Amino acid sequence: MDRRKALKNIGTGIGAIAVTPTVVGFFQSCQSAVSYTPVFVPQEDFGMLSSIMDLIIPSTDTPGAIELKLPEFIDAYADGVWNEDNKASFKEGWAAFKSAALEASGKANAGQLTAADWDAELAKHLKSGNPPAKGDLAAGFANQLRSLTVNAYKTNEFIGENVLAYAPVPGDYRGCVDLEETTGGKSWSL
Amino acid sequence: METQFDAIVVGTGISGGWAAKELCEKGLKTLVLERGRMIKHVEDYPTMNDDPWDYKTGDVITNETRKTQGKQSRTRYTTKESSKHFFVNDLDHPYNETNRFDWMRGYHVGGRSITWGRQSYRLTDFDFEANLKEGVAVDWPIRYKDIAPWYNYVEGYIGVSGQNVGLPQFPDGNYLKPMDMNCVEDHLQSSISKAYKDRILTIGRTAIITEGTKPGLGRMSCQYRARCMRGCPFGAYFSSVSSTLPAAEKTGNMTLRPNSIVHEVMYDADKKRATGVRVIDTETKEVIEFKAKVIFLCASTVASTSILMQSKSEAFPNGMGNASDQLGRNIMDHHLGVGASASTDDFQDKYYFGRRNNGIYIPRFRNIGGDTNQKDFLRGYGYQGGGSRGGWTSKVAEMGYGAQFKEEVLKPGNWSIGLGGFGEVLPYEDNRMTLNYEKLDQWGLPTVTFDATIKENERNMRKDMQQQAVEMLENAGFKNVRGYDGDYALGLGIHEMGTARMGHDPKTSVLNKHNQVHEVPNVFVTDGSSMTSAGNVNPSLTYMALTARAANHAVEELKKMNL
Repeated sequence: MDRRKALKNIGTGIGAIAVTPTVVGFFQSCQSAVSYTPVFVPQEDFGMLSSIMDLIIPSTDTPGAIELKLPEFIDAYADGVWNEDNKASFKEGWAAFKSAALEASGKANAGQLTAADWDAELAKHLKSGNPPAKGDLAAGFANQLRSLTVNAYKTNEFIGENVLAYAPVPGDYRGCVDLEETTGGKSWSL
Repeated sequence: METQFDAIVVGTGISGGWAAKELCEKGLKTLVLERGRMIKHVEDYPTMNDDPWDYKTGDVITNETRKTQGKQSRTRYTTKESSKHFFVNDLDHPYNETNRFDWMRGYHVGGRSITWGRQSYRLTDFDFEANLKEGVAVDWPIRYKDIAPWYNYVEGYIGVSGQNVGLPQFPDGNYLKPMDMNCVEDHLQSSISKAYKDRILTIGRTAIITEGTKPGLGRMSCQYRARCMRGCPFGAYFSSVSSTLPAAEKTGNMTLRPNSIVHEVMYDADKKRATGVRVIDTETKEVIEFKAKVIFLCASTVASTSILMQSKSEAFPNGMGNASDQLGRNIMDHHLGVGASASTDDFQDKYYFGRRNNGIYIPRFRNIGGDTNQKDFLRGYGYQGGGSRGGWTSKVAEMGYGAQFKEEVLKPGNWSIGLGGFGEVLPYEDNRMTLNYEKLDQWGLPTVTFDATIKENERNMRKDMQQQAVEMLENAGFKNVRGYDGDYALGLGIHEMGTARMGHDPKTSVLNKHNQVHEVPNVFVTDGSSMTSAGNVNPSLTYMALTARAANHAVEELKKMNL
């Protein structure tokens, strides 16, 4: 169940529903990643990819990747939009990234890798200030996953309507305006 | 069912809508036939208010769509979730390609007038005289003075915003106030003015209302949502369904019949006149004959030509009006997908308000006399483009990821700008479409086969198009200037035209100077098929002007009992 859609309906439905603890509990259970069966990413990898994405876009005073269901979005996107070549190269990159992280941690299997292990591997590729070397599959994957996560983040309904500057019907066009005055420094979501 | 009318219009797109309006307003009982389904303004725009997150994977082309709209997806934009329903299913509507040809179309009331690019420019005498001067193909039977009043009339009715600039190769028009340019576009405009004597940059001329209202179904000013292709609830851009068809309807003279595939124009050899059209009703599968004194084929370039080709009789064994053997030949488009892009670190404190679904325009500056004449190619090209802010800066990328990165990616990245060329394609006799009677469609009608390619003139022009774009962006001080010459095949410009050309002589052309089939004067063809050459500007405005002009002539000739 889509939590935002459900929340939207509250208050606009017949006689606004009082949000009792039971109802809140019901929404929270909707959020858990357990209920999602990935269509592209193997089930055993989905949790790992979710935690890496949550390092890229963590929960702060606004929701992070997992809470925004960005892993679910990317999984559906890969399945529904990518061609076979795109799919294969993502899988290849992911395998390289996973084995690089394993090697660095000295652990026996991927299931034992913690957020700290993923963080160390991500930092190696994304905080060096260097673009990925050609043929470095793990670095290429880190960059790709970051792009995908940011894209999913910026096209997310909650972020698009509440965090970015949202103007579905601007009514006017002005070509050259002050950024701070116009959107408070944020991008337009549309 | 009534089967006798004064006039029949085949097609409801840009041209058909205009034929319907003009003929109905002049008092003719007019049957308007459309092969596809009914579309009503606003109520049949299901995606008009959608945000990207209303689609499971965003507003993109999905694998599911590619299965049924593989060819329609070649544009990489038309079959996104928000507009795919306005383009045909390729499995239901197949065609054949000896060489790749991108035939993009929608079968519904309004046709491509719902999804068109709205850029509206006039041809000039540089275009109308070019074939004659250069000995290419045949001479246009009209000149700018013949069509100028009709451009004026059409622009005034549909609403075109733009700036008059007083260039002979880019005539002024009857425009609503121009849209604003953003700061990088302003910058490029002044840089070009300083660096070049032979060219300017101006705001695009687009069929969007920017002030006041226009006739039709409550047409009002643009709200800058940039969702035109889905149909506009404000009727701000021109389409048949918001403007011309309602005008025709209002007269009480129009009978609009969707789900009706016209496949043949019937002919009376004794009277040397067409008598009507033969239609397949796609719902009942019935074949019906409708009769009229005058017939307007406005079904689109390929479809109108295909109808004439199928209209065979003893008098016309190779198709109606095809004594010249020119029917189906000389297919043209505008070649595009070549130009340059760049970015800048400047203007970090600037942004825009609203989404302007219009770009900037650099009018033709090649082969218009003197120093502008080129050795390597004939004709010319214009650029369309625009500036925007998106993505994230390299500064943000260095933050890597995490909490601060998450904040920073919500800020707009650097400004970027692009210039894409639109070049003239010459008419070549062996660039043609034919009918394949071995491969029939679901109605038992022949399918279309395309055999056409761009040639040396276009390839040489593309080199210049890329080089000049790079040079202008470099001169303006932009960074990361990158030229490109991408994947282009004829048709990708969605400006296919020229397969039933106008001309002076029945031996070398299909239509006369009033868009009448030389041999059958009560059949008018006023869509893109009538174009004798392509010019280098977006052609829809010309189709509208030619249609209004031809309709006026048809009514005058009817009054004189000449048809």
